[in-house]
Amino acid sequence: MNNNLQATLLKAAAAFLFIFSVILSLAPSVRERTWAVDLNWTHWIGFAAWAVLTFFAHRTTLERAPSADAFLLPSASLLAGWGLLTIYRLEPTFGLRQTAWLTISTLAFIFTLRLPPNLNFLRRYKYIALALGLLLTALTLIFGANPAGFGPRLWLGGGTIYLQPSEPLKLLLVAYLAAYLADRLPATSAPSQRFTLRGLLNLPFLIPTFLMTGLSLTILLVQRDLGTASIFLLVYALILFLATGKRRIPVLVGLGLILAGAIGYFYVDIINLRISAWLNPWADPSGRSYQIIQSLLAIANGGLFGRGPGIGAPTLVPVALSDFIFAAIAEETGLLGAVALLALVGILLFRGLRTALAAPDSFQRLLAAGITCYLAVQSLLILGGNLRLLPLTGVTLPFVSYGGSSLLTAFVALALLVRISARGESEPAVLVSQKPYTLLATLFGLGLIACALSSGWWAIIRGPSLLTRTDNPRRSISDFYVQRGALLDRANTTITISLGESGSFSRKYLYQDLASVIGYTQYLFGQAGLESTLDEYLRGTQGNPASLVQWNQLLYGTPPAGLDVRLSIDLNLQIAADAALAGETGALILMNAQSGEILVMASHPTYDPNNIGDEGPALLTDDQTPLVNRAAQGLYTPAALLALLAGAQFDDTSPPNDAARVAFIEQLGFYEAPALLLPVADPSPRGEVDSLRVSPLQVALAAASLSNDGVRPAPRIALAVNTPMQGWVILPTQSQPVTIFSAQTAQATALSLAEPSGLFWKFVTTALEKDKTITWFIAGTLPDWQGAPLTVVVLLEKPDPQLAEAIGLALLRAAVNGH
Amino acid sequence: MSATLVLILRALLAASLYIFLLWAFIAMWRGLRDQGLSLANRRIPSLDLSIQIEDGPLTRRTFQHAEIFIGRDPACDVALEDNSISARHAHLSYHHGQWWLEDLASTNGTRLNQSLLQVPTVLVSGDQIECGHSLIIVSIGASIEASPTLRLPIES
Repeated sequence: MNNNLQATLLKAAAAFLFIFSVILSLAPSVRERTWAVDLNWTHWIGFAAWAVLTFFAHRTTLERAPSADAFLLPSASLLAGWGLLTIYRLEPTFGLRQTAWLTISTLAFIFTLRLPPNLNFLRRYKYIALALGLLLTALTLIFGANPAGFGPRLWLGGGTIYLQPSEPLKLLLVAYLAAYLADRLPATSAPSQRFTLRGLLNLPFLIPTFLMTGLSLTILLVQRDLGTASIFLLVYALILFLATGKRRIPVLVGLGLILAGAIGYFYVDIINLRISAWLNPWADPSGRSYQIIQSLLAIANGGLFGRGPGIGAPTLVPVALSDFIFAAIAEETGLLGAVALLALVGILLFRGLRTALAAPDSFQRLLAAGITCYLAVQSLLILGGNLRLLPLTGVTLPFVSYGGSSLLTAFVALALLVRISARGESEPAVLVSQKPYTLLATLFGLGLIACALSSGWWAIIRGPSLLTRTDNPRRSISDFYVQRGALLDRANTTITISLGESGSFSRKYLYQDLASVIGYTQYLFGQAGLESTLDEYLRGTQGNPASLVQWNQLLYGTPPAGLDVRLSIDLNLQIAADAALAGETGALILMNAQSGEILVMASHPTYDPNNIGDEGPALLTDDQTPLVNRAAQGLYTPAALLALLAGAQFDDTSPPNDAARVAFIEQLGFYEAPALLLPVADPSPRGEVDSLRVSPLQVALAAASLSNDGVRPAPRIALAVNTPMQGWVILPTQSQPVTIFSAQTAQATALSLAEPSGLFWKFVTTALEKDKTITWFIAGTLPDWQGAPLTVVVLLEKPDPQLAEAIGLALLRAAVNGH
Repeated sequence: MSATLVLILRALLAASLYIFLLWAFIAMWRGLRDQGLSLANRRIPSLDLSIQIEDGPLTRRTFQHAEIFIGRDPACDVALEDNSISARHAHLSYHHGQWWLEDLASTNGTRLNQSLLQVPTVLVSGDQIECGHSLIIVSIGASIEASPTLRLPIES
């Protein structure tokens, strides 16, 4: 009956891995949304190998250990197959290597089961085995290598075959401790009185275990393999606890580890890095805590159902193959998969402890319990590290992670567990106290539950807000697969568009001189300008029906196709303005003084957003700051402009007091950032008068009041968005118009500034800004103008009133004639 | 198109994973139940004790459970009114397929077939246990089933 159960479970595991493989094959067609793609096939080698090897492992257990626990092999096999396919999905070449290692590991499993069943050879040759393990590990100090070519040299070997001796050393140490303690500890003694803690620690019989564990630890510490060292220490403490029933041993060792961590935090770089990245990952998301943040982002991207095998982006997480394979699995199979994986680990651990309790003698009992502790401690350390429950320790997730030594050790350990569980008719050995076993089962269970709750926290509760972080590269990646909305001018002429087909969409900036305003969107440099402020419409997360957004998220893990946005920019006038400003350093704004619509916004010098990937680093350090939109983000002293506007408001005979001046400047809007869908400069703080700085956009809005009967309009640059359900939907203004002057004052001031032609008012002034002189030119239509009132602002970063006036008036004339 | 197909496959994927887990949990629960049933139905050979307190009459008692305490304490299974016996004097238990006798650190000790009992010892029929001035003669009976459930054939 047990044999049937094992076969049934293995069939369910095979079904899971088969469906997984089918999805992995189809994944490229989902990502690129077409059948005309190359499907993935290489991982079927892995699936086939897994099926054949698991079949043989199953047959061997039936033959050699017919009464073995029926849950151990299926859970471990499922984990190993799941890991193998995930590795294929991440790096197909590593998948092939892992297939080779799975073959070796399964052969080792079969070989171990064919050894004499009472395992006495292990008990007898414990010192030789351990010494061999220590020797191999010590050899890495001299001949150590790292397959990656850099980093800690923990491996032996060369070419494509590397062995990390500290992995088998774990198992050898467990076997040694089990054998030694089983020989020396009287199994049937009363649990309590015979050993006090002091007596226990002084007892000479423990000295060899101190020496052996200490020697292993020293080698690991010299190698700086701190994760493995903590595993050794914890496993040693837990085995002593199981053997003696003294709760103080693991408590003391645990406290000791925390103390060592605290000391290391101050004196050892790597520990400091790991602990500070754990305590406060958000402080340095692109540096020290890059790995953990990317891991959490991957888990968040998985959500409840996961993106589907091959459809997520787990390759973004560093070392997703080994240390962070749990994050990769959580991204592609979601919280459902993550919890199931934790449940599989749980089944393995609980059956391991059960095997230990039912073992026929105390050596086998301690060996089974020790193996379970090693699997539990290592699994919980790396799972907790992935989930930010514990500081990150670079160890593998047993059975799942890439790594030959780890897989081999895990499978030999599994074989020993299976062997011990097949005790046949023999009675369990006498147990001194069941308490340590119950306590450990509780601890392991709580640890796994904590991991499950934490997965839920990152995937469901914190997930949505995490995914909007700018360091989440998945958003830019989805731009390659989903068409981003276009930006159009007010006459629906395309300015910026995404071209290509799914998988290779690229952004084309057809009119480059608008770069400072439009900005860019690029997967390395992020976003700027309107591309950033209109991102939700352009990416389709806003403006589309919520059900469509959710359906696309479920199917593809991407937003639906983006929406086109119409800007208030008049491209013909914009071209004229850019031509006039070519070669200058400055900014220009032409605005409808009544509606606040920005018809022209120019900032020079500018750049080519099509090449931001190549030119970006140089642009960032350019003295001319082409990336800054001078029209909205540049701040200059208003100089005589402020006097002009104040002169219109206040009588010369009664100069205003300070409070009235500040109140007036506030009316002008110089203390507030203009509210529109465009990045603007932070305004000067309220109350600033002498060192007040304003942007050309703020000046344009204030100046517009002279052409608009004293009312400062609410600015707009994005006019409407083309939604699939309702067509073009108007985007409302972000603020309300403000009355600055009375209509009479505004009209009188405008008329007093009228230029000879009688069409416009104008004002030009220069001012000293830091070490250079700047020129302001403002102008607008007069009150008797019948068309839409217009205002223009020109700013030049050089003293040239004639040029500023010529540019401004020419543009104003062109605009008036055009209307 | 492929996405909808893959969505269905993804649902099947999750289903197969949880079928594995569900199956495993059901099997574990069944294992627990069966273990409990088999322990409850375990066959224990009955133990016949012929008890003689000092030089009194021989009384005969039969036990069918796996643990029997002998002592002066009335709560003991074999409560003997004999001042030379400790409150909890000796312990008879069935495990590893045998009946075992163990002295519970009694004041005057327990003798098995005239020799003082030092370690737990296996009993066979005819063994004589001496506790203080009392004598108990052991006779191990045939196996009986504690509470067998009989399935009667249903006649239609």
